[in-house]
Amino acid sequence: MKKNLYNTILLTAFLTIIISCSDDFVERPVEYSIDSENYFNSKAEYESALIGAYDLLQSTAINVLMSEIASDNSLCGGNSPTDVPSYQQIDDMIHTPVNVMLKKSWDFMFAGIQRCNYILEFKDKTEFEGKDQIIAETRFLRAYYHFELVKWFGGIPMKGDERFVPGDETTIPRSSVEEVYISIYEDLIFASENLDPVAYEQGRATRGAALALLGKAYLYEASSTNQAAKYELAASTLQKVINSGLYTLVQNYDEIFEMDGENGPESVFEVQYTDVEGASYGQEQYFEGNVMVGYSGPYGYEGPLFTAGNNFNLPVQEVVDAFEEDDLRKDVTILDMISWMEETGATYTIQHENTFYFNRKYIPRKRSENAALDLKLTNPNNYRAIRYSDVLLMAAEAYSKSGNDAKAAEYLNVVRDRAFGDQNHRITYTGSNLYNAILAERRVEFAGEGLRFFDLVRTGRAAQEIDGFTANKNELFPIPLEEIQFSNGNWNQNPGY
Amino acid sequence: MKSFLLSIFISFVGIYGYAQNYEIKGIVVDASGSPLPGVSIVVKNTLKGTSTGFDGDFILSNVQKGETLVFSYLGFVTKEIVINDGSLLNVTLTEDTQSLDEVVVVGYGTQKKREVTGAVSVVDSQTLEDLKPVKMEQALQGTVSGVNVTTTSGAPGSDINIRIRGIATNGDNKPLTIIDGYIGELGLLNPNDVETITVLKDAQAAIYGSTGANGVILITTKMGKKNSKAKISYNTYYGFQETSKKLNVLNATEYAALLNESYVSGGAQIPFPNISGLSKGTDWQDEVFETNVPIVSHDITMTGGSDKITYAISGSHLDQEGIIGGKKSGFLRNTARISLGAELSDKLKLKSNVIYTYFNRKTLPEGGNASVLLNAVNSPSTLAPYDANGDYTVFPIGNLGNEMINPLAQIANTYNDYNFKKLNGNFGLDYTLMEGLVLSSSIGFNTSNSESKSFAKIVDYGGKVFDVARSSVNQNAINNNDYSFDIYATYTKQIDDDHKIVGTLGNTIFKEWGNGLYATGYDIPNNSWSNADISLANGAPAPGVIPVSSYTFDERKLSYFGRLQYDFKGKYLLSAMIRRDASTKFGPGNKVGYFPSFTAGWILSDESFFGESKVLNFLKLRGSYGALGNDRIPTNGYISQLSGEATYVFDGALINGVATGQIPNPNLKWEEARKFDVGIDLKLLNNKVGVVADYFIDTRADLLIPFIPTSGILGPGAPGAASPTINAGTVKNSGLEFSVDYKNNFTDDFSINVAYNVTFLKNEVTEINGTEFIEGGVFGISQPAPSRMEVGQPIGYFYGYKTDGIFQNQNEVDAHPSQIALGAESAPGDFRYVDTNNDGVIDVNDRANIGDPIPEATMGLNLQFNYKSFDFSMYTFASVGNDMVRNYESIYPDANNLNYVLDRWTGEGTTNSTPRVTTAASVNNVFSTYYVEDASYVRIQNIQLGYTFNPDLLEKIGVDKLRLYTSANNLYTFTKYRGYDPGASSGAPIGGGIDDGFYPIPRTYMVGLNINF
Repeated sequence: MKKNLYNTILLTAFLTIIISCSDDFVERPVEYSIDSENYFNSKAEYESALIGAYDLLQSTAINVLMSEIASDNSLCGGNSPTDVPSYQQIDDMIHTPVNVMLKKSWDFMFAGIQRCNYILEFKDKTEFEGKDQIIAETRFLRAYYHFELVKWFGGIPMKGDERFVPGDETTIPRSSVEEVYISIYEDLIFASENLDPVAYEQGRATRGAALALLGKAYLYEASSTNQAAKYELAASTLQKVINSGLYTLVQNYDEIFEMDGENGPESVFEVQYTDVEGASYGQEQYFEGNVMVGYSGPYGYEGPLFTAGNNFNLPVQEVVDAFEEDDLRKDVTILDMISWMEETGATYTIQHENTFYFNRKYIPRKRSENAALDLKLTNPNNYRAIRYSDVLLMAAEAYSKSGNDAKAAEYLNVVRDRAFGDQNHRITYTGSNLYNAILAERRVEFAGEGLRFFDLVRTGRAAQEIDGFTANKNELFPIPLEEIQFSNGNWNQNPGY
Repeated sequence: MKSFLLSIFISFVGIYGYAQNYEIKGIVVDASGSPLPGVSIVVKNTLKGTSTGFDGDFILSNVQKGETLVFSYLGFVTKEIVINDGSLLNVTLTEDTQSLDEVVVVGYGTQKKREVTGAVSVVDSQTLEDLKPVKMEQALQGTVSGVNVTTTSGAPGSDINIRIRGIATNGDNKPLTIIDGYIGELGLLNPNDVETITVLKDAQAAIYGSTGANGVILITTKMGKKNSKAKISYNTYYGFQETSKKLNVLNATEYAALLNESYVSGGAQIPFPNISGLSKGTDWQDEVFETNVPIVSHDITMTGGSDKITYAISGSHLDQEGIIGGKKSGFLRNTARISLGAELSDKLKLKSNVIYTYFNRKTLPEGGNASVLLNAVNSPSTLAPYDANGDYTVFPIGNLGNEMINPLAQIANTYNDYNFKKLNGNFGLDYTLMEGLVLSSSIGFNTSNSESKSFAKIVDYGGKVFDVARSSVNQNAINNNDYSFDIYATYTKQIDDDHKIVGTLGNTIFKEWGNGLYATGYDIPNNSWSNADISLANGAPAPGVIPVSSYTFDERKLSYFGRLQYDFKGKYLLSAMIRRDASTKFGPGNKVGYFPSFTAGWILSDESFFGESKVLNFLKLRGSYGALGNDRIPTNGYISQLSGEATYVFDGALINGVATGQIPNPNLKWEEARKFDVGIDLKLLNNKVGVVADYFIDTRADLLIPFIPTSGILGPGAPGAASPTINAGTVKNSGLEFSVDYKNNFTDDFSINVAYNVTFLKNEVTEINGTEFIEGGVFGISQPAPSRMEVGQPIGYFYGYKTDGIFQNQNEVDAHPSQIALGAESAPGDFRYVDTNNDGVIDVNDRANIGDPIPEATMGLNLQFNYKSFDFSMYTFASVGNDMVRNYESIYPDANNLNYVLDRWTGEGTTNSTPRVTTAASVNNVFSTYYVEDASYVRIQNIQLGYTFNPDLLEKIGVDKLRLYTSANNLYTFTKYRGYDPGASSGAPIGGGIDDGFYPIPRTYMVGLNINF
């Protein structure tokens, strides 16, 4: 009897243990983790998320590099014809929807938009003083990423202030190019009305940056679609930047691109980089350094002032010849290796497509002791995304197209005076001659800065200037094949691909 | 009694008046020399007999010359000895792992082998003793059908991958390891602690439900035996290691001549105007590979037991240096174990087993451009290792690339250290509640912590990517814990003689948790390893750089299971299992999965119509079908966390914010493995021959693929973000396994054991959701991904261009579709690629299936002979049809080459297989069939010769057994593959089989000693 009682107790205990193990056991909190959907409870949290939205600006370095290679300014280079085939193909205008770097550019820009929309989705959650500035910075950044995408790929899917969720790729269509521009304008108008005129920290978007980008967007759309009204908007918007009096040209062109010249008086907007964090190949989104710089450097270089790079983005004779005599920008823009080696005893290793020229503005300088590995990926050179000279030349272009040749020539000559260090090289043309002179000035003023390709495209000159460029095709780059596949028929490929 | 004996004596005398009678005395021991009590000894065809006593001793009188004594003992091979004289008999019984009465663990219980209805293989301790594996996984290569073992590297302590019945998932393909009932880690065990390894390959593993999809490996550790006196066994070996392969690279003269040709072809100045006197130059492989590299192992085990208690205590020490870098790639492991079994009462049994493991490992850079070995292979033989000052030569930058550095300098400048400590074990109680009903409960645990340190010394390789301008030390501490708590009841009921039912019901809870802490310190005093510790690092990181990080995790699983086994007359065997699992890996609504399975068996040979066949002793048909689950994916995939990276520069300093991490997939659910198996077990020719054959289909549905590529608009390209984990497709592995063994004791002095097994495997992806293919792997630099997962193809097949010979002249180039889209104009001497889609151009769309890394067949052939005091064994393994990609050659113009380039194209008609050498632009280095090699191979894994001293002599000095042996591991590999190791793989399902210069496995010659007291 006692034994039975004992057994009954044991059996009951056994069953109790089994049954009492409920599914609650597998309900556990995730420790030391912040749920992204329960965020934005304070100003500080908005500010933290905004840093994330800025982060992707650094990955635009590949856009700059690719657009320079795509243009008639540079050859791809590298160590062999198969070194980064994505770049090689873009150089030769034989790129296809299968292109690793274009895919990255697409992914990085959309990642930036997604991070902006993360903030904007929760913009009404918590009220605090100074929120407009944060929202304005966010919208500036979204416009920046949208502008990159519309330049490269044309119309893209958009979802207002909401983040994309899985499945949207098969249901949300590509907006038209016009709709993308409308979104850019709205964002930048808001930004220009709410941003501080002077950055509270170096690197922040300012009112001037928003206006300059807005003017640039107007100009791009105006020139691509030949809309007079947009030219006027461009001119008036850029004029506001000029009128602000906050920006001046750096008198010595050489100073702009050295470390000391970063965030200088000519800088309207500058993408910020540093060399203190390490990086390894293939992970561009993590880079805190400017990857374009290391890629563009002379291979195996040993000598003064500069350090070695990967031999990409090699200026061709044609761009060197585009500089007029006495143009002080030439030696700043182009590193002529033959004379440099003779002068200094420097050496480098000749690699693929060697032209003996390098893009001196953005090649690696001597590195600091703090420079982290891999040195070719961690160059700290900021990218001067919008220089005041760009504002002036864009304004000149817009005025020229709006029938105000006097203003156009004035702004053009401000830039030329600085370029030659005197007033003897002023342009006095009018009409289309003046317009052409402005475009020619843009080429030499911004050689090596990634503006040339889209300048040619938007002004309809790409087919005549770029070898291999096919009109009605190469104005846009192909939507990455993977994206076409993900969309499951929702997105059409760009024409010609 | 005396009179009884006398009468027998008289009667025998009466019958065989002149026959000699003996009183036979002797001792019966097992293979390790320990006495076996309770062995039954019968004089054949009589009733006369006895059994051994506590010390294995016996006395049997009145045995006549010519009579046969039969020694039998459960679980051992029965032995017959003919009596010729009256001398002392020392009988050694060997354990019979093939015995049908052998007990096999099958998860939450055991079964007799004859009753097993699943596909189950067993490896015994004898195999472990023969193979002398440093790590346990090695013992499964070639010894078990359906199991493939690949090394990720031959460096001491490297990971080893086991794949049971192919690669099914793109995620974690590791089988589950259960040590004495709890989840453990196979690779850390001391092989000498293991009694048996049981591999569950089919739906039989379904009792492990959610964790068993990749198959289950059950480890039983050695226990003491009841009523046996303390037995001490000591084993040691000492070995010398050397590389099992050297690549055939060019010597200095060949290299210089070839480089000249390549420069001339590219229209450049020749680099070596005078090649006479260059001689052979430096053999960089000889410089880095050391010979006579020591490996030493000691282990000692003490086992025994009384009537109620059994125990086993062991300790081991292993110290292996690397064939590259010696101690700088060394592995040292110490283990200690204590196991205790006690019958606390008639009804209550206790089992416990605790293992302590310590190891220390140091590593050199491996794989990819940073690898020491790659530097050795690609370094020009014209460069000397040391300069005039005796310092390491600094390699020029130029056409050697940014990565190639002096491999000797690299070894010297590499400093790291990894220490791992682990305590694992279990405590279990069995209580017999009433007849047939046993309650079992056990708790198993693993708790480990590790520390590692790596030192980045200030070093200048002359502008290479490995230059370090500022010294730093990186240290981390990782803590992992888990426990599994099982409680279950087993009810066994025999109804009449015909029906037997065994029911099992219970639950398991499993929890794993831990944390890791990482930190970096800067500016190490004196730039020296001896000062490399954060405590001495006095430099601050650059502003904004966060030099520390940490993580924690807590994952749990709750499972209920039930199993019903039924057999009728012992010949119709049925079982049904169901398991319900809930896991924290999945979100609300998807946490729970149900995994049912069924097995059936029919022992035909027990049927009366079968009769008493002399040839066929045993025949069983069996089949199984069931579902198993998999939840081995990154944690918290169903929620969105702020785990991304948000770093930007304001005011010139890094500043950190927050961003979302992996894109969540709230619909994540269990991956399901559906396993089908039919098999046959045969015993032939007096049980001398055993055959097991299986046909299987493993279908893995709702495949969980972490980080499956998704549209960029969702933001997976952001730093710290990642694509979601998705249930993304279906992969099918089907195949045939066949194994046969032959065992025969021809005479007392001569026995033989031959085993052969083969597995044919076919892998096919049958479905992918949401995308057409998934890519992976890396070939060359900036080339498209070489491996794909795609419907209708094997997982991870190679996707590249097909070559069609070499252009012999310009006419041939002109006649062929343009290859410009590959990056350059083609010229005579370049590859002609196949226009697979016939669109008149060669471009990315012409890529096709050019091979896959999955072997079509793997097989093992294992032999053992015993002759008198000598024993001999040989284990071989073969893999057929696996392809491997040659990706260890530098793309830089001045790198050294393998000597196959001596057969290059040098003009029309010279060759149609190896292209010209040139520094000019060419399309010859795109991923093509040229780089895919057949890596089929046959390897002699182990060959061993042993000598056991006569026990009679040893007895005087108190030794039961003394055996000396000599052995060689990885003696030779027959293969056409040019790289170091055709059997190596990164283990990646998509991107495996790409050879970045695998560290070759060492060939080891050793001498060893086994001694038992």
